[in-house]
Amino acid sequence: MEMGRDLALLAPELTLAAAAMLMIVAEMFRAARLVLAIGLAGLAAATILTLPMLSVDATVFGGTYRIDLISGWAKLILLPGTALSLLLVRAEIAGRPREGSVQSLVVLVTLGALMLSGAGDMMVVVIGVVMTGLGSFALVAWPRDDAATEAAMKYLVFGAVTGSVMIYGLTFWFGGTGSTLFSELGQLQGQTLVTIAGLIAIIVGLGYKGSLVPFHFWAPDAYQGAPVSIAAYLSVITKAAAFFAFAQVLRDLPRDGGWPLALAVIAAATMTYGYLAALVQTNLVRLIAYSSVAQSGYFLMGVVALGASGFAVPGILVFAAAYVAMNLGAFAVVLLAGRDLGDLEGFGRTRPWLGAAMVVFLLSLTGIPPLFGFVGKFYLLSAAVEAGYLWLAIIGVLNSVLALGVYLRLMVPMYRTSSTEHPSEVGAVLTQGTVVVTVLATLLIGLAAGILPGP
Amino acid sequence: MIWLALTILAPLGAGLTALALRRAPEAIALIGAALGLAGAIALFAGVAGGTDITASLPFLPDLPIRLVASPLTATLALVVATVAAMVLTYAAGYMAQDPERPRFFGTMLMFVAAMQLLVLSGDWITLLAAWEMIGFASYLLIGFWHGRNGVPGAAMRAFLYTRTADLGLYLAAFLLIGIAGTSEISATLATTGTPALIAGLLLLFAAMGKSAQVPMQDWLMRAMAGPTPVSALLHSATLVAAGAILLIRTAPMLPGGALLAIGIVGGATAVIAGLMALAATDLKRLLAASTASQYGLMLIAVGAGVPIAALLHLIAHAAIKSALFLGAGVFQHDRESTDLDTLAGAGRTRPGIFAGFAVAALALAGLPPLAAFYSKDAILAAALDSPSAAWLLPLALAGSVLTGAYMGRALKVLWSGTPEKPHDPVPLMAVGMGVLVALAATLGLVFKPLEAMLGAHLAEPGWIVPAMGLAVGLAGLALGWLLAPARLLGPLLAPARNGFPLAGGMDALVVRPTLALARLCDRLDAWIIRRVVLGGIVAGTQALSRRIERAEDSLLALLNAVGRLNLSLGLASLRFDRDTIDRAIFGLVDRTIALGTRARRLQSGLIHREMALTVAGIALVTGVLLAAPFYF
Repeated sequence: MEMGRDLALLAPELTLAAAAMLMIVAEMFRAARLVLAIGLAGLAAATILTLPMLSVDATVFGGTYRIDLISGWAKLILLPGTALSLLLVRAEIAGRPREGSVQSLVVLVTLGALMLSGAGDMMVVVIGVVMTGLGSFALVAWPRDDAATEAAMKYLVFGAVTGSVMIYGLTFWFGGTGSTLFSELGQLQGQTLVTIAGLIAIIVGLGYKGSLVPFHFWAPDAYQGAPVSIAAYLSVITKAAAFFAFAQVLRDLPRDGGWPLALAVIAAATMTYGYLAALVQTNLVRLIAYSSVAQSGYFLMGVVALGASGFAVPGILVFAAAYVAMNLGAFAVVLLAGRDLGDLEGFGRTRPWLGAAMVVFLLSLTGIPPLFGFVGKFYLLSAAVEAGYLWLAIIGVLNSVLALGVYLRLMVPMYRTSSTEHPSEVGAVLTQGTVVVTVLATLLIGLAAGILPGP
Repeated sequence: MIWLALTILAPLGAGLTALALRRAPEAIALIGAALGLAGAIALFAGVAGGTDITASLPFLPDLPIRLVASPLTATLALVVATVAAMVLTYAAGYMAQDPERPRFFGTMLMFVAAMQLLVLSGDWITLLAAWEMIGFASYLLIGFWHGRNGVPGAAMRAFLYTRTADLGLYLAAFLLIGIAGTSEISATLATTGTPALIAGLLLLFAAMGKSAQVPMQDWLMRAMAGPTPVSALLHSATLVAAGAILLIRTAPMLPGGALLAIGIVGGATAVIAGLMALAATDLKRLLAASTASQYGLMLIAVGAGVPIAALLHLIAHAAIKSALFLGAGVFQHDRESTDLDTLAGAGRTRPGIFAGFAVAALALAGLPPLAAFYSKDAILAAALDSPSAAWLLPLALAGSVLTGAYMGRALKVLWSGTPEKPHDPVPLMAVGMGVLVALAATLGLVFKPLEAMLGAHLAEPGWIVPAMGLAVGLAGLALGWLLAPARLLGPLLAPARNGFPLAGGMDALVVRPTLALARLCDRLDAWIIRRVVLGGIVAGTQALSRRIERAEDSLLALLNAVGRLNLSLGLASLRFDRDTIDRAIFGLVDRTIALGTRARRLQSGLIHREMALTVAGIALVTGVLLAAPFYF
């Protein structure tokens, strides 16, 4: 009986796992289109199965996995995001060897991301980090050239080191509470050193996934070495999952341990460093990589406010949804325009609709009302203020001025006259479709933000 | 509700259609503007009965998009829609040869939609969004001819100036929302005491940026780089009006201290910008400086506690100044310049247009029975009755004399000179301008009923104030017509022509960061490397030294006039100001660039070094975590 209920609640995850297995089978027959079809069908089915469960607040398998507001909305955000990423992957590498493998790995990594988003137990977090990590290394290494190999290697070494630090540190929490469940973390009250050891573990492990400064060094290289579509995927799905996991872990931890302050410092450093470094990039992919490092800092503002503001959890969810839409969209435009800043020269003139879409994404990333990104940032800033971190909110606002500088560097050349050719490439239809979906989400959901979870 | 939607969405829809179809943009623009005007008229008729029309659309939880058409906001919406419709009619003629018309009309219409949203917003968040949108649209419009020399710089400058001032609006809005617990504008106006004072001063700062008040007047003169219809719409009746509108709408909340500050800023602008207009060598810049000066007069009225007088002057000025700009555009069309020397005698070429221009000019100078006669009298009466009359009345009178003087000068220049054969008839341009001139002449008639509708009652003027207003207007006109500015201004001419570099000290705070931004970008951008590093830095350094030289010149001029009193003190404080501000800003820029480069250098690509940095990061986090419990 209990088992049956648990499995019913896990229907979206199980559907996705089944779809991933089928995709691998289809890949054995080198039927790349079939792989894609199964993947999209699985993602769609899992999304639909999630809808009736949005108001459920339950745990399965003895409290180790949570079906709640965070994991429910995480599925609604990550699954469509993955579907769009699959389209981008198809657009970029259609017909190349191992295309189906890439597609199935993407779905498996998303399964790991779902594990992270619903984690109620230390072991589930570890499994989630490992699942997302292993798949991602392979995805980054896919092009098999020097840059990709080096990037994947760096990504792997970073993952190995941070992963082992995380597992080691978590054992202290197990020692302190006698349980691996996060719901027991309240018992850590008073055990300062034990709390700190576990916190460092979580910050290092998830900070690496979410590319927080100073655990972000792998990100620009990995994004640059990987195919653009994979960079887009990694920059949104695994990153958002890391912050969902942060929310799952830290909402049970007593706030008096000083961790909000430590995270606030990291948040401030991350957003400032990210935008500063983005200001001096010439490679478009690296520039967006650094800008998404900076966006991680904004995510972290919501984590800082966990337990102290009703805006914290909705803020993380809403910003994640906005971020998935606008960052995927920006990467999709890069896929069409080219990887260098110079490739954008005159792009808005020769491809006016795509140029306008790019402007929408960039303005939304800056946080200009009434776009979706503004709504997310608004929630996160409100959360930080309500939690008593006014200084962090001020740094956040100041950084959006810096952000405007970063993004104006992309917008201005787009509308200059130039002789650069912008031919439509193969697979452009899928990419343009992705741009349309994400630009509509960025434009319209911001206006209809009432449908999103509120405080 | 439907009229609210029509007023805002008709221009927006037409703008998007014009951009998407890329054909027949004039027709689409005129339809959109006409529908918007119809909506605004219906709104006005709807609220004339005394009940507000409101709409509340769900947006964020507890943060709906609120729109409200009260008598005040409906009147403003009607002004915006009327001027927009006329300017767009005119623009259909003016822009006929331009290949980029869809972009022009699309952006103009989107600006109109954003402006209507701003005017009709009943909520701070909606207002902030609209405020951002008009700023962005104006950036696009000023920079419309971005290929021309100096235009991108002017657009950037306007954007940065107004954005700096926007900080004031953000802070004020958040302060008011925080205190009132709601973002509904009407509810937040109940704020009193110190918060109201602080909010009032912050709002003044925001208004100073948008309405080009001293010391932030400089961007408006440079914004004249845009097409003339843009100047007529944005820089006379709408964008610049946003600052004054903000203060008129929040006037019920403002305490005495804030009012005094508003009045003094307005008075100072009325005089300083008036002097700049008198000294200007370019017709459009003359009109721009005059705009700043007239908004200064409106701020005097707000500061005197009679916002209704400011509103009346805003309405009269909207019609007058757009008519003047449109006239200037016709002369520009003929002579392909707006330089006053080139324009000498341009009025004789086109007597009809000149007559319209003259009616508007005399209206602005305040001759009866033209529109601004009534509104300027209301301002003078307000200044006279105000508790701070000792400050406000002399400034208001000086501003009015100067208004007459620079208008007299403009008329004289346009009339005296050799006429040339006109190029071609300009029917559309004449229609757009003609309607506005008619309004400029007759709007005074509707002021009484309008006052009644707004529920305000202005004191009966008696005879002193009108006589005073007429006297200063005529005196100004006579001075401007008879005397050359050099005679009139004497030693003030040079500093006035340069935009009062002493008073315009904001330049150092705002424009250097423009350079800063450019320099930040230049490292990577081939275009900017050509333009800014090779051209700009060199030109920038030259400009800087020229500016210093100019500041020195004007200081000397001032000395001759005032005497050698306090010389050393003034010089020292000026130096201190300039040098420290410069140093601070350049220092900041250099540090930012250095930091960015260093951030890149940290990313060395060597994994062992990066791991070491990560470990150092872990150690830092551990340190913070260990230290944190002692602070809690």
